Amino acid sequence: MFTNFGFYTLLLTLLVNGISIFSNFTGFKKIIIFFCRLSFMFISISFISLIISFIISDFNNLNVFQNSHSSMPIMYKIAGAWGSHEGSMLLWIFVMNLYIFLFSFNKTLKFKIKRWAIFFQSILIFLFCLYVLLTSSPFLLNPINVNEGLGLNPILQDPLLVIHPPLLYLGYVGFSLIMSIALAGLITNDIEESWIKVTKIWSLFSWSLLTAGIAMGSYWAYYELGWGGWWFWDPVENVSLMPWLAGLALVHTLSITNHNHFLKRWAIFLSILCFSLSLIGTFLVRSGILTSVHSFASDTTRGLFILIIFFVVTTFSFLLFLVKSPKEKNNLNLLFINKPTALIINNIVMLLACFTVFLGTIYPIIIELSLNQRVSIGAPYFNKTVIPIVLPGLLLMSIAPILSWESNKFKNKLIYIYALILLSLILIILSFFSTFSVFGILGLLLATWIILGTLFNIFQNLRKYKGKKYLFFLRTNNSLIAHFGVGLLILGITSSSVFQKEYSNSIKLNEKLNFDKYSLQLKKIDVVDKDNYQGLVGIFLLYEKNKFVGEIKPEKRFYKSNSMITTEAGIYNNIIEDFYLVIGDRNKEGWNIKFYVNPLVILIWLGAGIMFLSGIMSLWRF
Amino acid sequence: MAFLKKFVLFLPIIITIFLFGILVSYLLSDRDANKPPSALLNKNIPNFSTVNLFDENKKLFKKDIEDKVTLINFFASWCIPCKQEHPLLEDLQKKFPNLIIVGFNHKDSKKDAIKFLEENGNPYTFIGIDDGSIGLEFGVFGLPETFMTDKNGKIIFKHIGPLDKKTIKTNILPYLNL
Amino acid sequence: MKILISLIIILLSLSLFAEKSNHQTFIELTKNLRCMTCQNQSIHESDAEFSLVIKKIVKDKLKQGESKEDIEDFLVQRYGEYILFEPMFNYKNLFLWVSPFFILILSGFILFINLKRNR
Repeated sequence: MFTNFGFYTLLLTLLVNGISIFSNFTGFKKIIIFFCRLSFMFISISFISLIISFIISDFNNLNVFQNSHSSMPIMYKIAGAWGSHEGSMLLWIFVMNLYIFLFSFNKTLKFKIKRWAIFFQSILIFLFCLYVLLTSSPFLLNPINVNEGLGLNPILQDPLLVIHPPLLYLGYVGFSLIMSIALAGLITNDIEESWIKVTKIWSLFSWSLLTAGIAMGSYWAYYELGWGGWWFWDPVENVSLMPWLAGLALVHTLSITNHNHFLKRWAIFLSILCFSLSLIGTFLVRSGILTSVHSFASDTTRGLFILIIFFVVTTFSFLLFLVKSPKEKNNLNLLFINKPTALIINNIVMLLACFTVFLGTIYPIIIELSLNQRVSIGAPYFNKTVIPIVLPGLLLMSIAPILSWESNKFKNKLIYIYALILLSLILIILSFFSTFSVFGILGLLLATWIILGTLFNIFQNLRKYKGKKYLFFLRTNNSLIAHFGVGLLILGITSSSVFQKEYSNSIKLNEKLNFDKYSLQLKKIDVVDKDNYQGLVGIFLLYEKNKFVGEIKPEKRFYKSNSMITTEAGIYNNIIEDFYLVIGDRNKEGWNIKFYVNPLVILIWLGAGIMFLSGIMSLWRF
Repeated sequence: MAFLKKFVLFLPIIITIFLFGILVSYLLSDRDANKPPSALLNKNIPNFSTVNLFDENKKLFKKDIEDKVTLINFFASWCIPCKQEHPLLEDLQKKFPNLIIVGFNHKDSKKDAIKFLEENGNPYTFIGIDDGSIGLEFGVFGLPETFMTDKNGKIIFKHIGPLDKKTIKTNILPYLNL
Repeated sequence: MKILISLIIILLSLSLFAEKSNHQTFIELTKNLRCMTCQNQSIHESDAEFSLVIKKIVKDKLKQGESKEDIEDFLVQRYGEYILFEPMFNYKNLFLWVSPFFILILSGFILFINLKRNR
């Protein structure tokens, strides 16, 4: 029943958006706001219907049958609603609608711009409704009569499935609203303060959520895949990174756009670029033309449809940009070291990084098509290109927020320079006593410089600020705080990748193995029996220099419904290091184990968390 | 300079159209992300020597098949998709009795392999034992894999995974004007 | 100041001469190799049958004193460039390797000219 209900409300969403598009050209223009809210109501009902079908395990619904099992915990049943391709596309439409619904309450924009923004968003919603209805409906009826479902992909059966996709989509799909607002600004030719402010709010919001979504995804991959890493430069990751980088450029550009027409045009271009990248990215991962380590549903025929949506939307937007973009001229006040220059460098670096990621993702396709050879472009390529490219931008980061708009000077210049030199000296000397690596030194240098620089500035501002409203202080210093987060992130990235230690061996019950100064003892193997899986939990005791540190419990799970085995890494964290243990197959010499020591890896998520929070915090300023 | 400026302005649209063209033709070109084109295509057959599965005294070398159109098929008894394509190989052998079909029994035990052939029939002209080293020379990574060689000793076609009627019709039959 | 900077340079150049052990090369190499039967996974991370075979080959060849490049060539001849995660630097991949840095330098140059003009 809910299946039909969901289907018809989705159909109604399509219809309402069709009418809404049409109504923009009639006499009753105000009605478009009503339609936009009506559409949100319908899509919510549709989306909730799907979730209910999952909760009640209605296997008459084909999608529920294929992706759920009655033995799964309720949490995964709900999350299963967006665990498949079909359901996640419904979530996509829901998010697009949610954004325009919230936007429709805006009171600062002129109605003209608002109307056009809703109009463009309605077109996007219309196209995606069409896409879901024609190629990937989650509301198909199951042709056979069954009492049990096939079960959700075990890798997805994880608490993070509940939160990661919605968060990621709120960021990734949120850029659609920013594009719609940008197009509305273009077509009305009315780009003023309020337009900038609204764009700023929504792009900061989406971008912050995308940051959180990506960070969460990487944490998920970290403990689920069991390879001790958290970023693999996999197509699925790259595809979320591209709009993130473009969004980063956009957020920074908007921070100073008030002053300049050239930058307004640039901000519009970036707004279009962000969502275009979201679209092409969705095509790349959904069409199945690239292989990925992450579980993802894919299908060629469905790919073609998204590709056409991408083509139509992007070409139209760029054409509109070409024809209608504001023509007023005034040049940027670029000085050797002031804020506009820093901003330009930020934009060049971020967009170039984005371009490189994109090139690396798409290049194998071009090569295969033209030469019938296949090449792989993986982590080594991206590490060797993207990292050197972003270095100059990162160097600027610790001081950028305090640079002045106009003048060429900034306070305490010498302190920074001496600090940089001193730091590099200390690090190089230290590196002689441990493993030497150029990337290691550069990363640590940058990270410490950014952390110290931002902290120094935060404390300087704090001294000036004697009031009691600390929240206000945090809000106004949010860019410094965000950059501090990036410093932590770089520190985490560098230390956990360059100074990671990796060991593998076989271990018998009660045996104690030494790995440098650490040792591991396998105390026992527990068997757990859950509704949806059977698990083997190895209980390991970790010692450092023969002193007991803690227990690590890596797990292997056998999922009954689809006979799949997954690994769950056991992680013991003592803030400074992650002790990361994976249990493998059993052979004559015992259990194969892989043991990683990842120093400071937690800073990656701490840093990303700070970036996310400072982004959200800054919204209170408006 | 003015032209350059125009070009830069149009660049996003040009790139979009270019991308669209490339991706559409890739989508429609019937490629599989899990089946990369072979590195050996249009190259010489790699050197090998193998011993007959049934008779240790019979041997096969690269030079024996260099001047003939040959179908080379890597299979094993533990490989389930191999069973699936086996009848098609039998059909081929019946239709083209002169076609040389060399089977390489890849990382298998002799006993299992012989049992497999007894149960499913033997379409091969010669079955060589491959301990894995021949597969390595041919760049084999997933069974079954099938190669087609021409009269000049060049590899002209490679298929990963079980053969199907369509593949045989479009990629193998055209070369079989014996 | 000058002394400090030269000290940094000297120390850096000294440390570049450190030799890599066989084990380090092994890890570096296997991280650069694709497990052909897996989904976008490196040999290093994978425990698939294919990966185990290639790991053994790499280990043996390193023991015999073959260089990283020799081993990569050996595998590329058989499995194609697809097996390398780091695309080779050749004509085909020229654009891939050069364009990011070319654009970086070009845009840096344009920025520099603009800065100079504004001064």
